Amino acid sequence: MIATIKKTAMSAPLVLLFVIPLIASLAFALSGTLDAKNWQSLFAHPQLWPALELSIFTGLTSVAVSLLLALFLIAGLYHSPWWPRLSAQVGAMLAVPHVAMAIGLSFLIMPSGILARILAVLTSWTTPPHWITNHDPYGLSLIAALVLKETPFLMWALISILNREDVSHSFFGQRAVGLSLGHGQTSIWLRIYLPQLLPKLVWPLLAVFVYAATVVDMAIVIGPTQPPTLAVVVWADINDAQVLNNARGAVGAWFLTLVIALTAVFFWTTIKLILSKREWLTWPPASKDLLRPSGTFSKAKIFTLGFFYIVIAITQVILSLAPLWPFPKLWPDTLNLIAWARVWDNPSALITSLAVGFSTTVTALLLVVGWMETQPPSRDRFVTVLSATALGVPALLLALGQYRAFLQLGLTGTAFGLFLAHLIPVTAYMFLVLVGPYRSFDPRWWASASGLLTSLPRFFWTIKLPLLKAPVLAASAIGFAVSFGQYVPAQLITAGRYSTLPMEAVTLTSGTNRPLTAAFTLMLMAPPLLAFIAAAFLSKSRWSSK
Amino acid sequence: MSLVLENISAYFGDKRIFEKLSLTIEPGEIITVMGASGSGKTTLLSAVAGDMPNPLYSVGKVILNGRDVSIMRPELRRIGRLFQDDLLFPHLTVGENLLFGVERGLKAERMAMMKTALQRLELEGFEDRPPHTLSGGQRSRVALMRALLAKPDAMLLDEPFSKLDHELRATIRDYTYTHLRERKIPTLLVTHDFEDVPKGGRVIHV
Amino acid sequence: MVNRRSLLCFAAVAPFLPCMAFAADWSTVESEAKGQEVYFNAWAGADNINAYIAWAGVQVKARYGVTLNHVKITDTAEVVKRVRDEVKAGKAEGSVDLIWINGENFRVMKTEKLLFGPFAETLPNFAFVDIQGKPTTLQDFTESVDGLESPWGMAQFTFFGDGTKISSPPKSMVELAAFAKANPGRVTYPAPPDFHGTTFLKQALIEATSDRSIFAHPIEKDAFAVAAKPWLAFLDDIRPSLWREGKQYPKSQAEVTQMVADGEVLMGLTFNPNEPANLVASGTLPKTTIAWQHAAGTIGNSHFVGIPSNARAKAGAQVVANFLLSAEAQARKNDLKIWGDPTVLDMTKLSEDDAKLFASLPTPGSVTFPAPAILEPHGSFVPLIESTWLDHYGKG
Repeated sequence: MIATIKKTAMSAPLVLLFVIPLIASLAFALSGTLDAKNWQSLFAHPQLWPALELSIFTGLTSVAVSLLLALFLIAGLYHSPWWPRLSAQVGAMLAVPHVAMAIGLSFLIMPSGILARILAVLTSWTTPPHWITNHDPYGLSLIAALVLKETPFLMWALISILNREDVSHSFFGQRAVGLSLGHGQTSIWLRIYLPQLLPKLVWPLLAVFVYAATVVDMAIVIGPTQPPTLAVVVWADINDAQVLNNARGAVGAWFLTLVIALTAVFFWTTIKLILSKREWLTWPPASKDLLRPSGTFSKAKIFTLGFFYIVIAITQVILSLAPLWPFPKLWPDTLNLIAWARVWDNPSALITSLAVGFSTTVTALLLVVGWMETQPPSRDRFVTVLSATALGVPALLLALGQYRAFLQLGLTGTAFGLFLAHLIPVTAYMFLVLVGPYRSFDPRWWASASGLLTSLPRFFWTIKLPLLKAPVLAASAIGFAVSFGQYVPAQLITAGRYSTLPMEAVTLTSGTNRPLTAAFTLMLMAPPLLAFIAAAFLSKSRWSSK
Repeated sequence: MSLVLENISAYFGDKRIFEKLSLTIEPGEIITVMGASGSGKTTLLSAVAGDMPNPLYSVGKVILNGRDVSIMRPELRRIGRLFQDDLLFPHLTVGENLLFGVERGLKAERMAMMKTALQRLELEGFEDRPPHTLSGGQRSRVALMRALLAKPDAMLLDEPFSKLDHELRATIRDYTYTHLRERKIPTLLVTHDFEDVPKGGRVIHV
Repeated sequence: MVNRRSLLCFAAVAPFLPCMAFAADWSTVESEAKGQEVYFNAWAGADNINAYIAWAGVQVKARYGVTLNHVKITDTAEVVKRVRDEVKAGKAEGSVDLIWINGENFRVMKTEKLLFGPFAETLPNFAFVDIQGKPTTLQDFTESVDGLESPWGMAQFTFFGDGTKISSPPKSMVELAAFAKANPGRVTYPAPPDFHGTTFLKQALIEATSDRSIFAHPIEKDAFAVAAKPWLAFLDDIRPSLWREGKQYPKSQAEVTQMVADGEVLMGLTFNPNEPANLVASGTLPKTTIAWQHAAGTIGNSHFVGIPSNARAKAGAQVVANFLLSAEAQARKNDLKIWGDPTVLDMTKLSEDDAKLFASLPTPGSVTFPAPAILEPHGSFVPLIESTWLDHYGKG
């Protein structure tokens, strides 16, 4: 009895710092939603319906395209010698914050961007073409930026499913059977792997869809403007000077959430329905294997994907050094370090982001590992559901509730408030990433070690942690990257007292100082990337040095 | 129908696993390959099936009914396989598993073939059941029938009885061999249990 | 102390002279301010402005021991909302001490009693403000200032572009429409509620309206719908010739400026007549840049700093506001190389030495023929202009 109470008490840190703030935020987000006046004014908003269409269109299209790309890439490389290397490359792409990608892509495709400049050499344009590339009315450039970021994420999700021992073992056998029954690679992917993978991909797909359909920062940087996506409309309302518009923004956030949830349910049901029309699963083996997944093709595409990231990074480096870079020129007139000198003089945003990143990652790691070590696995479900909720509910809505709750507690504009606002998504991600590897840790290790070692702590430090090193490091790198990607909560909670890198970067994109924007974009990209490289390097086992 | 292996060698990188193995399997004959674990028994089967997991590779010829299949992709070789595990697809019903390898043809014909197979398995009415609701013996028989419905020109058996309990083992073994001989399918069997060797069958040690 | 003094001022109401009697109290304010931290919420989209505020921070720290923290914001409306939320939540010591403000945001804060004061006219340096020559220092968008905000700088709506590409700049909205038709896809304006976008629309409304007396008073929705007809006709007329056929609009004035620098559009707009010259000096715009105003006048106004009613460092904020009004700070702000924001001070009230600080030579990019300033329309026009525009042009 006392032992149980003691054990339960050990869950206090996670409950206090994660569960309660999260539930409180959701509860506070509800206030004002029952006032019919607010809904009336929302439905009277001239941009509501076109903006909603855009949100759903960009969300669905980016998910569909990313999923197809990810599957094609994975299909070509699964069971190939490239496979083990793939996860490191995907991790590196995963680390780049979304908004940095949007800023980078924007300068690549805008009418005065790199692409147009290259074409200008061939066509001798002197003024930028009348392209409708960035901020295009259909959100295609936003979709492109989302796809560049979500494809690696879905690949990462697929890789972690496919790398699970049970999955890889049974797939390996099923593949041999499929081949012996006359089915080619494509058929095996479509009829054997995919129907078994898709149900496991529900949460990643949902997370990607909700993110894509409700993202604020990327949509501001590269998305359509008149009308913008609904998330941007809502965001503008939430931040408006008029009280009535604030209330309209709050119900708008709920409306967006509800519609997105319904859309997700609708599409998931449709997919299930298609899958339940099972006849195609047993179509006879085709005489020709069309669309055969090819390793070379996949590698080419991985390179293209990686190439985008690299080109964007290089462009940003040049931009950060170029005060004046008039249109048709491929290379800037002058290069200097003024932007970097300014960063050097006033590094507060970088320092804040680093401090928040480190403190939240370390805290979240302690919370999650502390939970796993002290709580029975039966209680995991509760935290898993909460974590999934934290990531599945649009950041806009969660941040709004958080802002209201923190306002009551006097936490807005405080360092602790900033820390807590970042801790929620970081903990949610790290919990979801760690719960699998941690709980599937083979208990026989303890059984076989307990004869040799005396204490549980010693076992933890000398056996368990080293064995779990790779997932712990990967989760930490993800947590760190997640903290660098938080724009909406930071913007609301800091009351302007603190400035983080995503806040600065988004603010700067609306200004005229391109070098400084580029410098901030690079600072936003570099630390998470370094964290991933460090995690990959540190988690190499002693034996894999060859 | 015969399966001929000509000078098959297998390598792991630059390490040789076995070299220049030649063998002719007559129609309906079951040849047993025996050897200690790690001797490359399974590798031999993979070489014949054309499905060598990287970085393994093999050289030599596999001739099936007079055509050289060693240059073909595995799914075109018409070589069936059975493994230690029944490897029924967990997302498909029993009936769908059986249909999976049935050649193209009219839908009704394919369904009829599946139904007949279920009858022969004495599993009528199991068509829509998921595989995990079947007993181990039933699953093994379904796996065999699934392989046979694809009308293979040769079969490769990789210790298919090793996970079955003792009594079941003999029954399933006889069932399998009967069907293979009936269809005159040349078969290569890998095992390390002497009891699996069919009476009077040839045995090769690697 | 501060509270008692302001109460007394309040009791005296306008005119402000009785408050001046308490000028001796200024030293009390200064001593109270010492050691205080002032969070100055100011739009931070331009680097030169940020640098100027940083300079002011160094000065007030050295002279008055006040720490000035620039809270960089993109939209002042967000700050208004924050102050209101904090006051509503009962947060007596809010996160905002000083706010850069004018127009609609000021009207909202004044009406909702979110501002501290009156304090402006008690600032010692207020004596030098050109209240006769620059009436907008007392009248912010037709809303009486009442000492609730302290003037900081002057603004007048101005256009600019590359003189090598524009032979004769359009000097009215009618000419602008012709110019856009002659250069399809090369003219645009930022979408409201961007401040500059809204001002462009106000300017167009004023030029399209024959009876301008309506702008001095509040207007109702129905009356606006009637008055707006010629204005909408103008906007409809110009729309197909605009950048991206008027289906998309840039988000901000700075974005338009960047597009001018890239050559994507031909003309930009600004509220600071000196901004083009300043951008030439900083190398963002070419030396051939010209700036102009509409011949019949363009909208002009003043911008201010205010203190929220729940500010923590009210004394510190007043010290900063007073410093920002000093001849030294105003002259530096006026300097094209620094910021180029026109001063609110009256040269004749300054000492000779102080006045000399403001002397400067004409530079490339300055307005050659300054036009008269037109007063802002009443604040009630703004939401109507914005919602009408959104209804017509915000749906793609």
